[in-house]
Amino acid sequence: MLQKLPTAGALSLALLCGPLPALGETPLGLPPVPIPADNPQTPAKIELGDRLFNDVRFSADGKVSCATCHDPSKAFTDNLPVSEGFKGLKGTRNAPTVINAAYMETQFWDGREPSLEAQSLQPPINPVEGGLENHDPILKTIRDDPQYVNAFREVFQVSPDEITMDHVAKAIASFERTQIAGDSPFDRYFFGGEEDAMTEAQIRGFQVFTGQGRCVSCHQVEQTQALFTDNRFHNIGVGFKNIKGRVAEIAEEFLKAKAEGADVDKTVLTDPDASELGRFAVSEDMTDIAAFKTPTLRNIELTAPYMHDGSQETLEDMVEFYNNGGRVNPDDPVSPFLSGGIRPLDLSEQQKEDLIAFMKALTSPSVAAATKSAANNAQ
Amino acid sequence: MLTRITKAVLCAGALTLAQPAAQAEEFTEADLKSWEEQFMTVVKRGEKLFHGGLESKNTVSCDQCHPNATNTHPETYPKFQQQLGKVAVLSEMINWCIENPLETEPLALDDPRMTALQAYITWERRGVELAPGKH
Amino acid sequence: MSIKRRDFLKTGGALLAAGSLPLSLVEVAFGKNSPQNFTFAFISDSHITHIKGNEFVRNWDMGLKRAIAEANLMTPRPDFTIYGGDIAQLGTPEEIDHGLELLGALRGDVRYVMGEHDYYLDLGDYWRKQLGPDYYSFDHKGVHFVVLNSIVTYDEWTHQDWDTPMARMKEMARLDNPNGSPFMVGPTQREWLRKDLEKVDKDTPLVVISHSPLQKIYKGWNFWTDDAEEVQALLKPFRKVTVLYGHVHQIQYNQIGNISFHAAMATAWPWPYPSTYSQEASYMPKLTVEMNRADPFFERDATGWQFINMHSGNVDVHYTLPDNTNRVVAFNEDKGHPEDTKYQAEAEQIPPQEHY
Ligand SMILES: [Fe+2]
Ligand SMILES: [Fe+2]
Repeated sequence: MLQKLPTAGALSLALLCGPLPALGETPLGLPPVPIPADNPQTPAKIELGDRLFNDVRFSADGKVSCATCHDPSKAFTDNLPVSEGFKGLKGTRNAPTVINAAYMETQFWDGREPSLEAQSLQPPINPVEGGLENHDPILKTIRDDPQYVNAFREVFQVSPDEITMDHVAKAIASFERTQIAGDSPFDRYFFGGEEDAMTEAQIRGFQVFTGQGRCVSCHQVEQTQALFTDNRFHNIGVGFKNIKGRVAEIAEEFLKAKAEGADVDKTVLTDPDASELGRFAVSEDMTDIAAFKTPTLRNIELTAPYMHDGSQETLEDMVEFYNNGGRVNPDDPVSPFLSGGIRPLDLSEQQKEDLIAFMKALTSPSVAAATKSAANNAQ
Repeated sequence: MLTRITKAVLCAGALTLAQPAAQAEEFTEADLKSWEEQFMTVVKRGEKLFHGGLESKNTVSCDQCHPNATNTHPETYPKFQQQLGKVAVLSEMINWCIENPLETEPLALDDPRMTALQAYITWERRGVELAPGKH
Repeated sequence: MSIKRRDFLKTGGALLAAGSLPLSLVEVAFGKNSPQNFTFAFISDSHITHIKGNEFVRNWDMGLKRAIAEANLMTPRPDFTIYGGDIAQLGTPEEIDHGLELLGALRGDVRYVMGEHDYYLDLGDYWRKQLGPDYYSFDHKGVHFVVLNSIVTYDEWTHQDWDTPMARMKEMARLDNPNGSPFMVGPTQREWLRKDLEKVDKDTPLVVISHSPLQKIYKGWNFWTDDAEEVQALLKPFRKVTVLYGHVHQIQYNQIGNISFHAAMATAWPWPYPSTYSQEASYMPKLTVEMNRADPFFERDATGWQFINMHSGNVDVHYTLPDNTNRVVAFNEDKGHPEDTKYQAEAEQIPPQEHY
């Protein structure tokens, strides 16, 4: 009998929860990973998914894999403002991390796909990502590769002819469901009772986070776990300057194109104006104009730049943006569609510093290690 | 009636501590009346604070959204507040309202004004069954 | 006109939520020669609040700005906008002017209704100076519209020995004030209304707009008009009557005889339902499926505005609710009363609609 949709979502999430992922335990601070009933985790499937995730042949120029934009050595992001696909073509959106994406109730910044499985099908055939016309070349590559043929036979009990994109999607999603990271200093402090796991500044920053900063309204922390997202969509003002005064015209043009059959995935990644419509492009509800999904804040120190368009370079920039009530500069125009929760915060310099310190307490040791070793190897 | 007895018992307990020599279990009708009056002065004070008496920085007052303290649901606290990230007590929620819609500094949890606000809010909800944790 | 209303709701309804394009589709569906089908916007209760200098309460400003921005997205445009009253919080020229300045961004004409927050400082002088008479009628595409000032009260209360006009304003601005006084239309306007309606054919659809409900729901908060029955009696001879009102800041709808009632959401903040006041009885229309309980953490939740589809003399009210699911309450020809097109059946209702 809880109040809001996200709670109902959390409930169904709990019901979906099957056994833990085959690899790894549920880390401190996180709930069990929800596993769809029709895609149980197996070690072989996860291994297959890992290979598919890293296979650059699934793109028009043979150079782009999932890992191009979701690089395990960069906390499963690309650290670019917006991702670069085949031939270096740029999209409109910042690559979100795969880490803990398994907990998201929808995928993509606008939630246009309901699951990791469905999400994985889109990028290879997007004109600014994988650049393929359709999925046929992927299936051909797989069927021609004896290792893949064996793996698909073992995992899905299918002959080469029977391999479909559904199998590919399931394997990739299974791999992604193993990319779970908690155990951060915050988790040890808040859920593990280790009083000295966070510094004084980080502890003060947590107070700002739940208090004057109002961050926790959307980046949720609960009594026993913290996903740092509410799985909802909010207009926080990012990108408003770009479409100011043209919202009606852009929305109308987009709806017209969509009604005539334009693909949402392709349109929002290739048309910078349409991209700024956010969740509206999916829901067609005025409430959702320029609203984007709340991303998790876990490992945020390692996933710069920030926001759906990568427009904020540093945590400092981001805090300043919120402190200005969803504006880069305090005298920028305010979107009339701005979420009701966004307003100037009047944080002191000390509070801002503490808040940033707190966000750095959300880094999981496993992710930090992977990033660091990659950096060392590069030297 | 229930409230009164509980209150009387609590007060009697307090008295015992303060004056060990007193007859703890003996109090009169006049005592009951007096204590109720004491309580109601705080309720009245709370009513004033609730209706603009907090002098919030942006002039907004509690009653603007909560006439007769409705939709405050004191009987449901403590309860999990998703956006506070924890199980919270009523006074924490009151402070949230003071900080946000009222854009004013929060009160100390033992500030007499906080006590008065809670007295008024619960008085307007008297007779309603306790429902801790309910949403 | 061969397409039934239900078809419109099924196809147009879903698209209407988009706020763009769809209305042109609707028009095509009904045929352009049907003069009685049109839409208008209904925005209400912004409670613009002056703090000092040029500072106004941001939250209430943002509510009105959002409603205006959304109304401006409608294509084609609503024929006009009704503003349902309480543009100001304490009726000052600063508040009224600031509200009107914001409303200046709205495309098309606006017809204004007087609210108690606009009135009790100077008994409506400044409001009338800016906006004209506070009761009037007009005709639009075959529908007769009447606007009433329903928030006047008894002279003994209004003209008692107040310290200042602002003292009177503040008394009336407190909704739960035990020393308040009930709203009414009063004999002058009722007589004007009787005469105004004399010229109108009884088959002409009638839309009456007031600030307070022209029905009695809860006196303690003035969800009430003292002479509601007298006004209803004047509307009785007409075949199709709709009463629209503000003031209550919540979804309400009802049917009394030939009259359908619909309330507007506020752009500023929601009121709780009177039934949630455990110390007093109230009379919420049984028909009403209540709005979702407000989530205070999203300041725009349980606020919003309406666009109204006038169809065959009845109205479909489309509640446009930021941070929440939109609602549509439409007149059901078979049942002869308005109903929610999704949540009316008990089995369809959801936990947040339970108020206690
Ligand atoms: Fe109002
Ligand atoms: Fe009002």
